[in-house]
Amino acid sequence: MKKSVYKSAMSRVKTSENFKEETYQKVISEMEKTSQTNQINQKESLKMEKAKRKTLTGWTVGIAACAVLSVSLFAMNQQAPTINNPNPSEVATKPPTLGKVAVNIDGVISEVSEDGKSFKIGDLWVEVTDKTELGSKEPTAVKPSEELLGKEFKVGNIVSGFTSQDISTGKVAADVIYNNIAPQKDDTANPPTTGKAVVNIEGEITEVSENGQSFKVGDLWVTVTPETGLGIQGPTAAEPSEELLGKEFKVGNIVSGFTSEDVSTGKVNATRIYNNIAPQK
Amino acid sequence: MYNSYELNESVRRALDLYSQSMIKIAFAYLKNIADAEEVAQEVFLTYLQKHPVFENSEHEKAWLIRTTINKSKNMLKTGWFKSRNPVPEDLSYLPKEENDVLQAVLALDKKYRIPIHLHYYEGYSIQEIAVILQSKPATVGTWLARGRLILKEKIGGLEDEEICL
Repeated sequence: MKKSVYKSAMSRVKTSENFKEETYQKVISEMEKTSQTNQINQKESLKMEKAKRKTLTGWTVGIAACAVLSVSLFAMNQQAPTINNPNPSEVATKPPTLGKVAVNIDGVISEVSEDGKSFKIGDLWVEVTDKTELGSKEPTAVKPSEELLGKEFKVGNIVSGFTSQDISTGKVAADVIYNNIAPQKDDTANPPTTGKAVVNIEGEITEVSENGQSFKVGDLWVTVTPETGLGIQGPTAAEPSEELLGKEFKVGNIVSGFTSEDVSTGKVNATRIYNNIAPQK
Repeated sequence: MYNSYELNESVRRALDLYSQSMIKIAFAYLKNIADAEEVAQEVFLTYLQKHPVFENSEHEKAWLIRTTINKSKNMLKTGWFKSRNPVPEDLSYLPKEENDVLQAVLALDKKYRIPIHLHYYEGYSIQEIAVILQSKPATVGTWLARGRLILKEKIGGLEDEEICL
């Protein structure tokens, strides 16, 4: 056999004409598959990481909760033996810090005697004697003020007290007068519970920016920033409702608010938005 | 490490340079072009998956041939390959002399056939064939000698020819 004959014969053996192209296409598609699989694997590993992290967080929180409970229980058990059982007599002498007082005189004075020592509540005449104590003598009672325990008994005063006598007789002597409160005299003395808020942004929204954070009222562009306060502040202000202070600024909404900036510039940041009311549909 | 572009390019280059060698060595093993091409395709997919790093192009070619031989062996071992009764490859389009020589080589036992193919078709020396087949050079030399002897009995010739070491 000559080398050239075998080589020539083998070289002449026919193979597929499109072998290279087919193989190349197959290789390319395999590469794409591999890259997709890698991406999926990456996602899966990411999911796994997240799941592991969640599990870890769950365990951490659980263990922390258990630790807190254990410490609390331990602390409680530690404290328990140190509590001294109080002497029953001490208990009797030291009343609880909260308590009730007996009241059987309670109401508005409808009539006062000429000497001012007796007054009528409902159908009961109550007499204030020298023995009548004024104010509660309980250890936790606050010191009686002039406002709560007026010196004079007048018609319209609200009185509460206690008598050991039989109130069904219609006339009793008070053992204790806890309160003698004069009614509010004049409405003008206390200011009305109404107020005003400064408003220099007011009107209907005619335009809203794309991000929804700015709107136009008249010729003024108003921007709502993270610093912008929402709702009306003040002791008499009502809680802002969704109806009065909508979250979105839309064309047609009625808006009121305040800015500390110069509105003549045509563009301001709102200091506070009081109302953002959607029009009635 | 290859990036996907480099890998793509190296596969394409290997396809251009070595696909015929790979098909022919697989054909020498399996005696069927369709199977040989399938094996060669598998080798390229392996190349893609493993993307081995080669010292030079000869190293790359040797790796591809070695992998082709291994995959051909695997195919021969498969049940479906053993169980089938394939029609012999039609080589009648070859000139008679070439056809006779090729048929004589294909009729050899594969342990002689492959070294003869690697030597006469690829031009590898005994040392190189020993590396590719992971055998001792002396063993390869024996296989070549015996193979040539059988061929000589069948088709004559080869008496004065020397194997390049």
